[in-house]
Amino acid sequence: MLISPELILAIFGMLVLVVDLIGRARTREWLPWVTVLGFVLAFAATLYIWGSNASIFAGMYSVDMFSLFFKLLATIAGTMIVLVSIDYLRGRTTRQGEFFSIFTFSILAMTMMASSASLLMIYLSIEFLSYTSYLLTGFLREDKKSNEAALKYFLYGAITSAVMLYGLSLLYGVSGSLNLTDIATAFANTVDPSVRTVALVAPALVLAGLGFKISLVPFHQWAPDAYEGAPTPVTAFLSVGPKAVGFAILLRVALTTLPIYQASWIPLLAVISIITMTLGNLVALRQTNIKRLLAYSSIAQAGYMLIGLVGVNLTGNSPFSGLNGVLIYLFAYLFTNLGAFICVIAIENATGAVNIADYAGLVRRAPFVAALFIIFFLSLAGIPPTAGFIGKFFVFGAALREGFLTLAAIGVINSIISVFYYFAVIRAAFFLDAKDPSPIRITPLVTAMLTVTAAMVLLIAVYPQPLFNLAAWSMGMFGVVK
Amino acid sequence: MSLLVFYLFAAIAVLAALGMVVLRNPVHSALSLALVFVSLAAMYVLLSAPFIAVAQVMIYAGAILILFVFVIMLLSPGTDQGVGALKAQRGLAILFGAALLVLLIAVLGGAVLPPTRGTFTPEAIAAEGDTQAVGALLFTNFLLPFEITSILLLVAIVGVIVLAKKRQSISKQ
Amino acid sequence: MLDRYGIVAIFALLAVIFPAIPLLLSLVIRPKKPNQSKKATYECGLEFEDFPEEAQNVWVQFRVQYYLFALIFVVFDIEVVYLYPWAVAYNTLGPFALVEMIVFLGILILALAYAWRNGLLEWT
Repeated sequence: MLISPELILAIFGMLVLVVDLIGRARTREWLPWVTVLGFVLAFAATLYIWGSNASIFAGMYSVDMFSLFFKLLATIAGTMIVLVSIDYLRGRTTRQGEFFSIFTFSILAMTMMASSASLLMIYLSIEFLSYTSYLLTGFLREDKKSNEAALKYFLYGAITSAVMLYGLSLLYGVSGSLNLTDIATAFANTVDPSVRTVALVAPALVLAGLGFKISLVPFHQWAPDAYEGAPTPVTAFLSVGPKAVGFAILLRVALTTLPIYQASWIPLLAVISIITMTLGNLVALRQTNIKRLLAYSSIAQAGYMLIGLVGVNLTGNSPFSGLNGVLIYLFAYLFTNLGAFICVIAIENATGAVNIADYAGLVRRAPFVAALFIIFFLSLAGIPPTAGFIGKFFVFGAALREGFLTLAAIGVINSIISVFYYFAVIRAAFFLDAKDPSPIRITPLVTAMLTVTAAMVLLIAVYPQPLFNLAAWSMGMFGVVK
Repeated sequence: MSLLVFYLFAAIAVLAALGMVVLRNPVHSALSLALVFVSLAAMYVLLSAPFIAVAQVMIYAGAILILFVFVIMLLSPGTDQGVGALKAQRGLAILFGAALLVLLIAVLGGAVLPPTRGTFTPEAIAAEGDTQAVGALLFTNFLLPFEITSILLLVAIVGVIVLAKKRQSISKQ
Repeated sequence: MLDRYGIVAIFALLAVIFPAIPLLLSLVIRPKKPNQSKKATYECGLEFEDFPEEAQNVWVQFRVQYYLFALIFVVFDIEVVYLYPWAVAYNTLGPFALVEMIVFLGILILALAYAWRNGLLEWT
């Protein structure tokens, strides 16, 4: 069964809802664990169909290694976020069943985005993920900030989705097909110069919708407000989930549908990458709220990842194909950024504080969390020996290989800038005195997840070979022989 | 003739869409929107897609517009006037909107669209019956998006209840 | 094709003209004394100024139930639009289409059950 991960997620999403409806209070305590079971089964199902390369549902849905990579990523992210939201949601909402159900559906939407090979499926799965994300963002209905975040997120998303839909309709109009590879064939066979201009403008419109998911500048304005107002586990999800699968679709469209126009979209993406990293990092310098800081940081990270696509070159047998850089970066970023957010959640659960000023003296109040902040921030800044360094190494390496020296240099300068704001948090945690020196109690589940993410960040750095292989396999469908 | 009808409904649609944005009274805006929906339905008919036209009228002009009118009713009577945009914002919006319009006209005005492809030419659809053709495709090639839609609708209902309704004690043990 | 829709066009035109006549007529013969309350969105004949001071500025809380009903209506309206081509094409599709539709309806029935259980169908 090639769609077994999706089926499992859909069934578990509904199962959680049904149990929540008919179960007693005691039964409902088990809902998060049912959700986790669903993710674990979907993860196992993805491994079971590992190696498939099939196109199903009349070519609309590609179950290939590239999509399976993102399905692994989605189910891992889902599992970890459910585990850290158990403690967070307690006392904040009475509708935990709905939360986990909608969250399962959002992971389902992610797995579908990864496999979408038709304009229709792309639009449908992006909208699906968007709607579930809006709901999760505004889930705390008593919390004004959560409401505001959801509204801003929704309004911004609705407009970019309309622009993207217009772009998709233009692509269909000039090519006469919804299927990504058929569109590529139509473009390759056309001699009409007017098609070429449409083929440049339409993807630019589509980029609005994808840029919104990935939070590329200038489609990033929603991110700080949505990140700040959303329940923190949802913020963690928004910063890794939609971004990863947004990249999945961006890569798939760029590399299967538009490779013949590569010379045209590379400069555009290079410029977007530069302004995204620079703006994200510069604005992050001035933030006082940790969630907003991480929002701008995640905008900047999207800029770094985009460098990999700018430097993409699938010919030859170089270890720096650009594409593998993006995949490795995404995988490393998943654990790093989730880890950083779990630190935030750990503090917020105990004290409710989300301002950097409240982190003063953290080293005495919660030494474990303070120490892990260093690991995650080193990784986000791309300093060895952490996973983030491996990601940046391959992404910048691809840019250098393709001769984008300025771009790589700007990337490095930006990484240095980012060190300043990451270490502003570290400085508060280690070198300032706490107003209230009472120790912060971290719940066992959160401690466990912190340990797992930190271990993964370090493990990827010291033993990256499995991840290299994973990335190399996942690129196979783009015709790269490894 | 069919071109004439197209331009008639295109003009109505554009004017009504402008009216929706410009009119001060929200109910007038909603009615303009209804006009946009109906003119779009007419265009679907011109494109030999009467089923889509009927769906457009049923869902958009029927259901969604009712939703809008209810939402307008839920607004406080004193808030009929929307919050004004910043002056600079308005200027920039017009500037960028105009730039986008010029760009799109320049690009699409010269584009030569490919001739109709595939098995579903207007004649084939007319012979088979439009609704029949939609049904046959929807439940074979487009099965996946169709089933996904039902989950999306489920999420919509769950979502609206989560956001709009306080939880009652649903299980009386 | 257009001649087939000529009759639709005639009906549409009549549907516009008939309500337009009394509206235009009243526009000509009615006295014109506009005031704030008459121009309000949902004008019902009550003078807004007659309300007590505290009632004038409140956010009149209409029941959110109206909105919820409308939204449920939208969802099931969409369902009907899907059912129609299914019914028309059923003969050419065969029994598998029945399974497909049962799955689709099953999921929506879950949605209805959820709404019901949450008291959405009661006007309390």
